[in-house]
Formats: sequence, C-alpha cells, structure tokens
Amino acid sequence: MRLATLLITVMVALATLPAQGKDTVRIAFIGPLTGGVSANGLGGRNSADLAVRLRNADAKAPYTYELVVLDDECKPNVGVQVATKAAADNGIVAGVTHYCSTVAMAAVDVYRKFGLPVIVWGAVLPDITYANDYKEVHRVNGTMINQNEAAARFMTGLRFKRWAVIHDTTDYGKGHNKYFSEDLARSGGQILGTFGVTADQQDFSAELTKIKELKPEVIYFAGLTPVGVRIRSQMDKLGVKAVFQGTSGIVSDAFIEGLGPLAEGVVAFREGAPAEKLPGGRVFLDAYTKQKYPDDPEAYGPFAFAAATLIMDAIDKVGPDRRKVRAELNRTKDYDSVVGKITFDDHRQNAVPLITRFVVQDGKWVVWEDSEYASGKRALVKK
Amino acid sequence: MTSSVWPALAALVVSAVGVLALLLAEKQWAVIAIIIAAGAAMFLARRFDWNERIRRSGAANSRKVFLAAMVLVVGAAFVMREHNFALLMLCTVMLMMVAGLGLTLQFGQAGVVNFAGAAFFGIGAYAAAVFATKTALPHLLVILAGGFFAALIGSVLVLPLLRTRGHYTALITIAFGILFKTFLEVNDALGGPQGLKVPGFVLFGHAFNDPIEIDEETEWSFYLAYAGLSLLLVAAAYAFVRRLERSWIGLAFDAVRIDETAASAFGVNVAAWKIAAFSIGNFLIGVAGAAYAMMTGFVAPTSFTFGDSLILVSIVILGGLGSALGLIPAALVVVVLPEKLQAIQEYRFLLFALLVIVILLVRPGGLLPRALRDYRVGAPR
Repeated sequence: MRLATLLITVMVALATLPAQGKDTVRIAFIGPLTGGVSANGLGGRNSADLAVRLRNADAKAPYTYELVVLDDECKPNVGVQVATKAAADNGIVAGVTHYCSTVAMAAVDVYRKFGLPVIVWGAVLPDITYANDYKEVHRVNGTMINQNEAAARFMTGLRFKRWAVIHDTTDYGKGHNKYFSEDLARSGGQILGTFGVTADQQDFSAELTKIKELKPEVIYFAGLTPVGVRIRSQMDKLGVKAVFQGTSGIVSDAFIEGLGPLAEGVVAFREGAPAEKLPGGRVFLDAYTKQKYPDDPEAYGPFAFAAATLIMDAIDKVGPDRRKVRAELNRTKDYDSVVGKITFDDHRQNAVPLITRFVVQDGKWVVWEDSEYASGKRALVKK
Repeated sequence: MTSSVWPALAALVVSAVGVLALLLAEKQWAVIAIIIAAGAAMFLARRFDWNERIRRSGAANSRKVFLAAMVLVVGAAFVMREHNFALLMLCTVMLMMVAGLGLTLQFGQAGVVNFAGAAFFGIGAYAAAVFATKTALPHLLVILAGGFFAALIGSVLVLPLLRTRGHYTALITIAFGILFKTFLEVNDALGGPQGLKVPGFVLFGHAFNDPIEIDEETEWSFYLAYAGLSLLLVAAAYAFVRRLERSWIGLAFDAVRIDETAASAFGVNVAAWKIAAFSIGNFLIGVAGAAYAMMTGFVAPTSFTFGDSLILVSIVILGGLGSALGLIPAALVVVVLPEKLQAIQEYRFLLFALLVIVILLVRPGGLLPRALRDYRVGAPR
C-alpha cells in the first residue's frame, strides 16, 4: 500500500503542469524514447523541449506552448497508434515527428487523414517526403539522396575513379548503396563490385580477397560502426590498399577507438554540420547545457530544435489553426535556423540540407575543410 | 441450483463503464483514479465474497451474459463514435484478445508453449498485405487467409515441437520467431526492412477507412467500422474457444497438458491433439494479425520481434493460463495502460512493469484464473 501511495504522489507531481496566463497551444513531439535507439529519441525530445522552454520564457511570444511528448518505440505499429493519438486530438496544432524511417512511413498516412501538419526531424528515407504528395508532411533533415550525392561529387572531385562497394543488408545499408551507385554513375565513377554483408558478420576475408583482385581505389562502406571497424582492420591484414569511405553510420568516436592509428585517412559524410559549426549551433549547445538535460542532444537534436522553432514561429504568425499553419509551413523559404537555411521544395523536403565531409586525422573526426588533407599537407593515397 | 443473472450483469456493466472511462480519460489524474478504483473494486469484491456469486451467476447464464457483453461493447463504441484514438485502442484490445485466445488454447489448455506469437501475428499481417494488394480476393477471405497461412507455416514447426518438451520446445519457437523477422528483413519482395503498406478493409463496397458521414455537421470515426469487425472476430473466436474447452476436445487438451504419459495410456492421441491445438491457435493469431494490419495500414518486421511475442505471452499469463475470460482485463492492462502512461514518457514501461508485478503479487493465478471443471449434478456448465 505504501508503494502505491508513493507511485501516486510521483505521478500526480508529474502531471501537474505550471499554469500560465496566455493561451496555451499544444504541439506534439514523437520519437523513440524507449528501445535500442532511445538515445537519439531522448536527445531530440530534450531539444524540442528546449525550443519550447526558450519560447515560453520570451515575454513577447503571443502564446504559451506545451509539448506533448509521445513514444513511438521505433515500431511502426506503435507509431501509427501515437500518430493517431496526436492527430485525432484537435487541441494539438502541429507535430515534430519521427526518427525512425519505417515509423515515419507508416505514420504519414495518419497525418494526411487527420490533417495534422508535421515536420520530420530525423528519419532519412527519401520516400517519406518523395513517395507521396501530402501537404502535411515536411522534413528539415537531409535524406540519403543528399548525403550520397555530396559524397559522390566530392570523391570524384578528388579524381578517384574505381570503387568497390560493401553494404550491410539493413534498410540503411541497402538504401545508401542504391543512391550512392546512382550518383556515382552520374559523376563518372565506376563500381567494380558490390558486396552485401549482414549487420553482424565477423569475417570479411572472402569479400576482401575478391576486392583485392579488383584493385579499386576506394572502398565505399554503407553500414554502422561495428562492421566498419571490422572491415577496415581486416583490409589491413589482407593488404588491401584503398581509401576507406564511409557513411554517416561510422561517424562516431567508437569507430576511432576501435581502430586506433588505422582510422587515419578514413572519410565519411553526414547530414548536418557538427553543432558547434552550425550558424546558431553554439547558442543551441549553450542553452542545452544550461538546462542540465541528463542526455546529449545527439546528431539530430538540432533538427528537432529547428523543427519545433519553425512550427512555433508559424503558429505565432497565423494562429493555432492546422490549415493555416500547414499553408505557412509549406511556404517556408530561406528560414534561418540552427541547422542553416531551411527552404521546402515541392515535396516539402528541406532543399538546402547541409552535408558535412569528415576525415579522420590524428585520432579525431575533422571537418574536411579544416584538415591537413584539404590543405595538401597530407594525402589520402600515399605515394 | 439456479442462479440469478443479475450479479454477473451488474459486474459486467460496472466493468464496461470503467473501461469506457479509461479509454476516454485524457488527464493523468483521471487515469490514476480509474486504476485505483479498479484496485478498490477488486479488493471489495474479495472482501465481501462477490467473486464467487458473480462467477456462478455468469456460468449459469453464459449465453445471456455473452449477449449483454456484446451489446455493451457496441454501446461503448457508439459513445466513442467521434473519438478516433479511443476507438483505435478498443479495436486493438479486441484484436489482441483474438490473438490471446489462440495462444491460451495452445499454451494454457493443450500445454504447447509458443514464444513466437508475434511471428504468427506477423504472418497473418503480411499475408493480408500481399493478398489485399496482389489479388482481388474479398477482404473477409483475406483475413481468413491470414489465419490459414499462419497455421500452414506453423506446420513446419510441428515435427520439432513433437520431439521436444518444455524448455526445448520454447527454444524452438523462439528460434522460429527470430528466423521469421530476419527472413522479412532480407526479403525485398515483402518490402524488406522498410515494410509494406496494407490497403484498408472493404466490405460490400464500403471502404472501412472512410469516415462515416451522418450529415453535414457530424462525422463518425472510420474506426467504428473496424470496431464492428473486431467485435465480430473476437465474439466468434471467444465462443469457439469456449465451446472447444467445454467439449471432449477440451478434455483431451487438458489431459495432454497435465500428463502426456497418462493421456496416451488412456488412448488419447497426444501428437494429434498437440498439432490440433497448435494449428487452431496459430489460425486465430493469424486472423488477428491480418485484421490488425488492415486497420493500421502498415506492416514492418520491427513490429514482430521476440519482445512482441513476450507481450502476447504476458497477456495470456496475466489473464490466467487457459482462461478465455481473463484475456479481457489482461489485454486491457497490457494494451491500454502503457498508452495511458505516455505522459511520463521514458519511465512509462518502468511503471507499467511495476503494476504488472503488483497485480501478479496480489493475484498469483492471473486476473481471472480458469475455473475447475465441475461435473456435479446441477453445476453450472
């Protein structure tokens, strides 16, 4: 019985929200708060919450905002459920929604059906915006298309010609392989061989021996850190001399820790700049630190912050009306945000997403432009 | 010994009102109040020994109570006609009950462990996705096809299931569940890891995904149609499982579960009854999966993980092993509570898990344990 009393007290305390004078407008945040990718979901949640707190602290803002946070568990069925909850609630004007691509794909139909304008803050699958023509669905972060377009153009710009591709067989690896291959063909590169591997494969000598015979200049790897570490170290053991090029999946400290000096000269690409390089990134990070959130904002936190701010600006301007907010969001052009300028194209996809190029130099991910590789002091291919 | 219908009816109405209030509750304090009220009601019922009277009255008038329950669900759905989300929850609960009925038949009655419930649910869902997009099969048949395929694919497990006992059987089903998810992820024809869209249910030209327009002003939720469908499925499945349980087939299931050696010594064909229970159970789970997929409109492998199988198993255990009736409160607790606790965000599963543990502490045999068979003359059947 005492346990029950304690629980009730905790819950009542959590449920009591500070009441204020101005009209309160509710917006939703949906992301994975539990499960395997919850770190990203919590980072996004905190960032959106930060945006709301900053706005509520501003005395000039016409409305008080309340963030309704819902957990999609990174599962499409739960995603549809919470999307319905948010969209069917007429008190919710707009939403900052989804980190996981499958969940976003499942939920966009719900937003369309109930007419809730949303901005996707983390899911990268192109189809979320491009496979439909839903005026409700916007996206601030870039897609796999943007990342690979930039990667292909950049690498061919460095005069590389021959690639071998290794990708994992998840949606992430498969998608990257598809778009990179297309963009590379357009930029004039040549792919000598493509190899699919499972996300938990340990031994890559079969693939790498084949690749050694093909003599590519670059090995393009689409997958996440653990497999990337294994492939790069086994390349060394088998004497495969090629530049190792990765995707956003390997841009992590764990990748460098796992490889040590072998990581030197690995290149990779990611949507968005590191927060401190973003136009308003410093301000964002400072404000984030000041709120003492227990978790990091992670890579996509700034996008959730930008999405929430964009929505609140739209509501401040046209009032809490879904249709008007939708029209206002559709019109977004050259909007200044912490992730750079936001302009939505005809599919409401942010048309000017920032893609950052990284290279490992002395055990750190360094932005290419700041590296000794760009200045010519070091070279990716040793002569 | 006749028993009045009123105690059971009163209990039913009180619970229905409680459920309705829970589904419509939006404020956190209201949800808490309802949970406390439910706990208090359970406590009072035990204190004044109402449970036994209600049980006897329900058992003596099972047909009337069954009809009354259906009427109450229809009434509740009507009250919620404009609340899309509450209706979605109601439909989900009912479909989870259909899946739970299948699982309780395997698990609780014939003693065939199945830790791949979500996989069979997924087979039904994917079968619905494929049949509804690629063929012109009427959608009622698509839903049956979902069940049929779940039973069919489940039959590959029959041989290993018959050769193993207990933990080993459990392991086989777990392996099958993982195999199923991996198969979906590498198979591009079924959408791969990204999943597939599923068209909505259409019956005699009426698309269930269209809202029901009453006049210019009012529009009823399209989930109302799905609620009707789910009610139909759950009522049919419930009646079916209950009848099976009370028949000689149910007796054979019980014999197989309790002691295989003794059962076969008495001429009960253990293997045949295990296969029967496993297939019928999978059929029900598959039907639920197909209907659920058509209602939510999307299927992806991540919805059918081992964790989801455990959730299905926990519905069965929370209700009381083998108890069809117990599935009602159990499905409500497992489906609705985590949803109603969304306001506490990442801590909700913590609290939810605590609640489940508390329930099992108070009622170790489940919420409504299966009653013993009573063959005395005049006993309610």
